[in-house]
Amino acid sequence: MAAAADVRDMLDLPAEGQPRPHKKQKVVEKRPEGITRELYALLGERAPPIAINENKYKGRPKWMNKLRVRPWRMSPFTNGARSDGLVLNHWQRKHESTRPPAPEGTEMDVDEKKEKEEGKEDEAPKPLEQEYNFAKYNIKARVPRSYSDEEYTRHLQNNDWTREETDYLMDLTHEYDLRWVIIADRYDYQPRVPGTEAETEGDSNALVPAKHYRTMEQMKSRYYFVAATMLAIEHPPSEMSEGEFDLHEKMLKFDPDRERDRKELAALQLNRTADEVREEAMLLEELKRITSNEQNFVTERRELYSRLEVPISVGNTTIYQSSQGLSQLLQTLLQADKSKKRRSILGPEGAVASPAGQTPTQASQVTRGDTPGTNAAAANKKGGAAAAAVASAREIQQPIRTLTPAEESRYGVQHHERVSAGVQFRSDRAQKLTQAKSNVQTLKLAGALAELEIPVRLFMPTERVCKEFERLIQSVNLLLDARKVAEKVESEIRVLEASKAEREKKSAPTDASGNPEVKTEAEEGTGVLESTAADADADAKENPADGDGEEAAKEGEGNHKRSASVLSGASDKSSKRQRR
Amino acid sequence: MNPSNPPQTAEYGGDEVSAIVLDPGYSTTRAGFAGEDAPKSLIPSYYGKYNADGQEKLVFGDDVFVTPRPGLSIHNPIGKDGIVEDWDMAEKVWEYSFTSRLTGAKPGNPFHNGLNDIPSEELPTEMEVESEEKPLADSPLLMTEPGWNPAKAREKTIEIAMEKWGTPAFYLARNGVLAAFASGKASALVIDIGASNISITPVHDGMILKRGVQHSPLGGDYISSQIRALFKKNSPQPITITPHYLISSKTAVEAGQEPQAKYKTFPADKAPDASYRALLEERTLSEFKECVVQVWPGPNKLSAAGPNGVPNEESARSSPGRPFEFPDGYNQMFGVDRFRVVESLFDAKAAIPDPESIFPAPTPAQTLPELIKASLGGVDVDIRPHLLGNVVVTGASSLLYGFTDRLSQELMAQFPGPRVRVSAPGNTAERRFGSWIGGSILASLGTFHQMWISKKEYDEHGANIVEKRCK
Repeated sequence: MAAAADVRDMLDLPAEGQPRPHKKQKVVEKRPEGITRELYALLGERAPPIAINENKYKGRPKWMNKLRVRPWRMSPFTNGARSDGLVLNHWQRKHESTRPPAPEGTEMDVDEKKEKEEGKEDEAPKPLEQEYNFAKYNIKARVPRSYSDEEYTRHLQNNDWTREETDYLMDLTHEYDLRWVIIADRYDYQPRVPGTEAETEGDSNALVPAKHYRTMEQMKSRYYFVAATMLAIEHPPSEMSEGEFDLHEKMLKFDPDRERDRKELAALQLNRTADEVREEAMLLEELKRITSNEQNFVTERRELYSRLEVPISVGNTTIYQSSQGLSQLLQTLLQADKSKKRRSILGPEGAVASPAGQTPTQASQVTRGDTPGTNAAAANKKGGAAAAAVASAREIQQPIRTLTPAEESRYGVQHHERVSAGVQFRSDRAQKLTQAKSNVQTLKLAGALAELEIPVRLFMPTERVCKEFERLIQSVNLLLDARKVAEKVESEIRVLEASKAEREKKSAPTDASGNPEVKTEAEEGTGVLESTAADADADAKENPADGDGEEAAKEGEGNHKRSASVLSGASDKSSKRQRR
Repeated sequence: MNPSNPPQTAEYGGDEVSAIVLDPGYSTTRAGFAGEDAPKSLIPSYYGKYNADGQEKLVFGDDVFVTPRPGLSIHNPIGKDGIVEDWDMAEKVWEYSFTSRLTGAKPGNPFHNGLNDIPSEELPTEMEVESEEKPLADSPLLMTEPGWNPAKAREKTIEIAMEKWGTPAFYLARNGVLAAFASGKASALVIDIGASNISITPVHDGMILKRGVQHSPLGGDYISSQIRALFKKNSPQPITITPHYLISSKTAVEAGQEPQAKYKTFPADKAPDASYRALLEERTLSEFKECVVQVWPGPNKLSAAGPNGVPNEESARSSPGRPFEFPDGYNQMFGVDRFRVVESLFDAKAAIPDPESIFPAPTPAQTLPELIKASLGGVDVDIRPHLLGNVVVTGASSLLYGFTDRLSQELMAQFPGPRVRVSAPGNTAERRFGSWIGGSILASLGTFHQMWISKKEYDEHGANIVEKRCK
């Protein structure tokens, strides 16, 4: 029979490789107590986890069983807070007379206690001498010491309060430990019956059998007066301790009227109707809303302020105004940057470029908003300006050096009113000017420029050239506008002339109807001339009828060299009119 | 010791001296050992009296309900206002309450119990002293009283306790205060709905405020009389209550049909007194109160309109009725009427008129809201909000279904400003025995033992000491 070794041999397995995995041990779960064997067998192998609660009495822990039972016994006791020596019985742990045979381990721990108990043991026969646990809670409020007759007559006389009633009040305050609510509730002073000898109030009280009702405020006021006076007699105010003095002050300052008013208000507050309560709740809600709104407003404004506030640096920047100082600064910055191990300001390559090459880019990065005109080249060339720019980049706050106009022109410093975003060529702007709103106008402009032999694209669009070009275009535009106006006037004149001629024709039918075409053309010619000349010749207007077209053209040529363009413009005009 | 330092938790605590707490009421008398959570002995305050063999015999405890003896008449030593009227019988009833279950009958004189019959000439004289054993010789006694108990009654009570029962120490506490203690409050407005009285007791720092104590007779017995008035006017036919002892057998009938029952009859000379029947009818009525009667939970009175404009009576009518079967088998569904019988506790106008009733028609001042208002009017304004925040409801009649809901609704309508919180224990035993439980707590406190009036003090100062000590 092929043994396992043969099979291994055939399959090229190492002889006696790993020992076979152990057969899975059948896990025999222990049957929990409280469940019968039959029932447990029914559960099968993989029983769901069942928590079996056994409501069994646990009893004492085992180690306790070794301790001796300490017996209790009914024992009599007296209460130190009582004056009559009433003996009551309660259960108490009995003190053993003999040392219990305790196990060794616990012997040491309990030894001391046992000894203490033994010490008590001697007293055990007379346990009544033990202090009762709860006797210490028998405390009394501090009340002023009682006054003597002499003290009363000298200090405490009062028309409203008799001596007897004051005594009664003082007894009551003592009895109820100054609980004023209860004192006022139980206050029931019966004035003395007038039959017995009376000192002052015999008859008056007999006549007024109605009970004299005292309010709590009256009682308090009287009590505080008496207590404060007694305190002052005992210790004059100059000798009082701080607490006593406070107390004295408080008692003297008690104002029964104010207290009464306060209670009236409290009663009003308590007896509000449901509507009033609702209204108050609504008002409170409103108030809450308002305050929360205000809070929001304040926090928002604070945020805004903190955003507006720019940290003002007051450092001196003069050392950075030379290139040497700048490079030094850069070095220190780089040092700090390296040590910080953050993203380097030098970029990923980390190479230190020349300070001159590095700084302007940074400057332009930062100061683009401020001086976009100073480009990199200018900054490079003009060391001072670059230094200023860099310095202003480094430390934002720096006094700006003002340049004279001569210097400005030298350095090419410009001031722009408004700078549009992005990069643009200066010539673009000039180019833009040649584009008028309407195509016709653009053509006219182009014509005018061509006549002046100025290329539409400027060859050398320097600042000044551009400026000049701008001015030129402006004046061309102006002239064109003037011509337009003149033409309009011309046409009006012509219409009027025509109507005048009509009228004359009516009056003098002999008048030659002539050739209106020629006439109009002539007029047109002069009109154009006038407008192009922009000299607003008075005669042009006065004698347009007589003026010859060619003559006028010649004149225009004489004056300016624009006749061609003007003519073309005029022809343009006429063609337009014809079209119309 | 400084009073501003609170005691350590372990320092609070009980110290039981096996005191007995006795809480007598108009309907039941509760007695038990201090420190337990319910009275062990609960007996009716009624006692029975009958003549047998020419001798007057008395029946106490639950026995009064059991046997309809010939000529048995039922009495109550306590008057309708909760003050003891018949002191001799009150003493006997109270004594029965603790001797029957707590202290046990003391062994009689061994010379008279028949076991030690010895010739009289050999009688040792010194044993005579021991024969005079008093029932409470080794238990201090804490008794309760209503807040309006007059001084005479209080003195009489301590006299009985000291001289007749021989208690070594005695204390008389107001049941309002104890009910407040039972719910863990030293200051509370206690509303006690008892059998003969409803009472409002403001308690401040464990003492009642006498000027705020109010009570009126609209208690459980008044509700019974209202139920009787309702039965008289019942629509198909008036309902008569026949107690169980008069029924020998019955058969089930449909709702509203004439009862089919065989009645027991007693010949005139064997029949018990009418008061016996009244007492047993009262038991049926209390069952009716437990099963059927319901307090309109509010808001507003039953006669007023609800919050959505529908009259409350309409919505009460639409709620399903509750059936009740009387001992003779008659049964009926009770609809809105079950709300009406208790409505007069809150609304005097809603009372069902009954000229034959022993209770006069209630006045508005006797209703609960008015009583509470008057009670709060009698105390200082500073503590009123605090009292309203600590309203304690106790007494078995307060277990009427929906009572506490209505009470808090009424209070909130009356005092919309301060926070009103009604604390009523849900446990029926705690509600029924509120003042007993408070007494049980009080008498088992270690700090209380200095308050007892001892026998020695009583001997020294006389009965008047109770006025000085039990304030």
